[in-house]
Amino acid sequence: MDLILSSLEIFLRWDVWAAILVGSIGGVIIGAIPGVGPAVAIAILLPATYSMDPLIGITMLLGIYGSAMYGGAIPAILINIPGTPVNALTTYDGYSMTKDNKARRAVTLAYWSSFTGGIVSIIALVFMTSLIAKVAPLFGSRDILMAALLGLVLVVISHRKQTLIAGLLVFFGMFIGTIGMESVKYTKRFTFDQSWLLSGFDLITVLLGLFAVSQAFILLIGNDERAIMPSLKGKKNEGLFDLIKYKTVALISASMGVIMGIIPGVGEFLAQFFSYNIAKSISDKPERFGKGAPEGIIAAEAANNAVPAAAMIPLLALGIPGEALTAMMLSVFYVHNIIPGPDLFVKHIDFVYGLYASLFLINVIVMIFLLFATKYLLKIIQIPQRFLGVTILGLSFVGVYTLRNSMIDCIVCAVFGIFGYILKRLDLPIVPIILGMVLGNIMEVKFRASQARIDTFFDYINRPISGTIFAIIVVALMIHFWSIWRQKRK
Amino acid sequence: MSKEEYQAGDLVFAILVLIIGLALIVSIPFETKWFDGIPLVKQPRLWPTFCIVGMTFFAVPYIIQVWRNYKVQLGQVQGELNELSSWLRPLEYVFYFVLYVWSVPLMGYLLSTLLFFLLLTIRAGYRSFLMFWVSLVTGFGIVVVFKSLLQVKISSGAIYDYFPDGLATFFMIYF
Repeated sequence: MDLILSSLEIFLRWDVWAAILVGSIGGVIIGAIPGVGPAVAIAILLPATYSMDPLIGITMLLGIYGSAMYGGAIPAILINIPGTPVNALTTYDGYSMTKDNKARRAVTLAYWSSFTGGIVSIIALVFMTSLIAKVAPLFGSRDILMAALLGLVLVVISHRKQTLIAGLLVFFGMFIGTIGMESVKYTKRFTFDQSWLLSGFDLITVLLGLFAVSQAFILLIGNDERAIMPSLKGKKNEGLFDLIKYKTVALISASMGVIMGIIPGVGEFLAQFFSYNIAKSISDKPERFGKGAPEGIIAAEAANNAVPAAAMIPLLALGIPGEALTAMMLSVFYVHNIIPGPDLFVKHIDFVYGLYASLFLINVIVMIFLLFATKYLLKIIQIPQRFLGVTILGLSFVGVYTLRNSMIDCIVCAVFGIFGYILKRLDLPIVPIILGMVLGNIMEVKFRASQARIDTFFDYINRPISGTIFAIIVVALMIHFWSIWRQKRK
Repeated sequence: MSKEEYQAGDLVFAILVLIIGLALIVSIPFETKWFDGIPLVKQPRLWPTFCIVGMTFFAVPYIIQVWRNYKVQLGQVQGELNELSSWLRPLEYVFYFVLYVWSVPLMGYLLSTLLFFLLLTIRAGYRSFLMFWVSLVTGFGIVVVFKSLLQVKISSGAIYDYFPDGLATFFMIYF
């Protein structure tokens, strides 16, 4: 109890409150502007947080991560353009409700659903991280190697109909991570005798290129499309009544978001897909789905907003990021010499409690802000797209240049920007590259560390944890191939 | 995002990826080291080889998949060329970006940023004074937030050396 109280003392500090406010409100605004998204914002802000206190830096980024999807629902519902990619499913029923003059009801329903998802996942985070933290000390090199492998396998097979390119890009990301001087024998790998390649590619440079600079190019080369905002009529608490009416859907969807968030490599899209289908299957009027069903909005928003906090569970307990945004946050932990994993709960427990409390406050602040400030946000949504591109490019400079004040870093970032631009034009995924880069490094380190106890392949999986994870990998692959086979038979 | 249908550029991308994969395989002996007497699993060459082989392993069926989809629209070369030319369009903005990076240590972060925002806003097609002001205010705001308040590490401009002493120090620290 004393520990909890002492960790809450951090909320007497003004800078912690500033980080929470900037992160949560900034996240909503960023989420509400189509074409930006939390990945771009976090990639840009990452280097700036390196000079901050770890809790402040992480809190600010978590604020953006956790609140962007709240904001992303606004354009999804009002103008049929999702603010962030994960709000796409919200357009189905949200925009239909707007066309039926129920815009206010749909928007507030999305807020309350997101809030439910956020709170449920924080509760899960509190209970499950401490639970996993008890098991986590039992994790050896082989277990973490298998857990990272599970993440990579899942990120590949979760890209349905794009499995081959996702696999290719995962290996490409892993390869990028190997470039430079390796740390065991101190030999050069794929440096092509270029001194600037000796230290390899910095994760931030790659992230900024693939997410932010590529998006700036997309916006600068595209056209400005000005949407006409519908008026928000109705009462502020209409959405709350809907949520109370469909509380079962909200809880199921939030739980689905938590489960999918915990599993590395899966994320918001599958969480929404499953929860939407479950909501449809238990609905009295499934035919309304896609035509303005409140349950549809609840399923999509509660599920996607439950993912961020849940994705922190494997990150905090095992040091394994489940998707691109938690991979970005992992670098902030490392910069401040806070190594996520079992030791975190022993050495920095006050930091962990502070993080939990911050996440809770972020959700409350966002909810209050949105209930009173939505009409002002509607103006921000209408920022011209090409000007947004100018701004993102200008901000990307700060992100990459502050790392080492290096022109080469900026050029590398721009090259990855072009690569990301091509991937986006071809509708190919970017996340596998990032996860390949991060998890690939973890895998190589753990692979080498485990060699002392390895004689045959079976030594990798003869431990209870690694064996269980390996079994999960096999089952996941079997389900994947079975579903492909079944689809082809149809 | 289903990729069951062919999209212009898919085939060229798949071919490029396969070529890069094969080129990397060929360069493995030259770009990684092999130590005699050390088991395979401890060789520094092992991990990059595993990654490159994995990449190529996926690249082969991927190119077959793309080729199967491509056959449906065989002959639509113009679409391919249009897509390829669109891949080159960001190069113009890369040039502006690099120019901006190059100008910062010379002109200072503030002046470079204001110019970058203003000129890029004009290039983006905006001609109203309102947008010019918005771009300048945005650029100034970014400099104030990151350099003046957050004190991120950005080298100061050579131009500041020509300022009077007090002003030069002020600009070096805050802009």
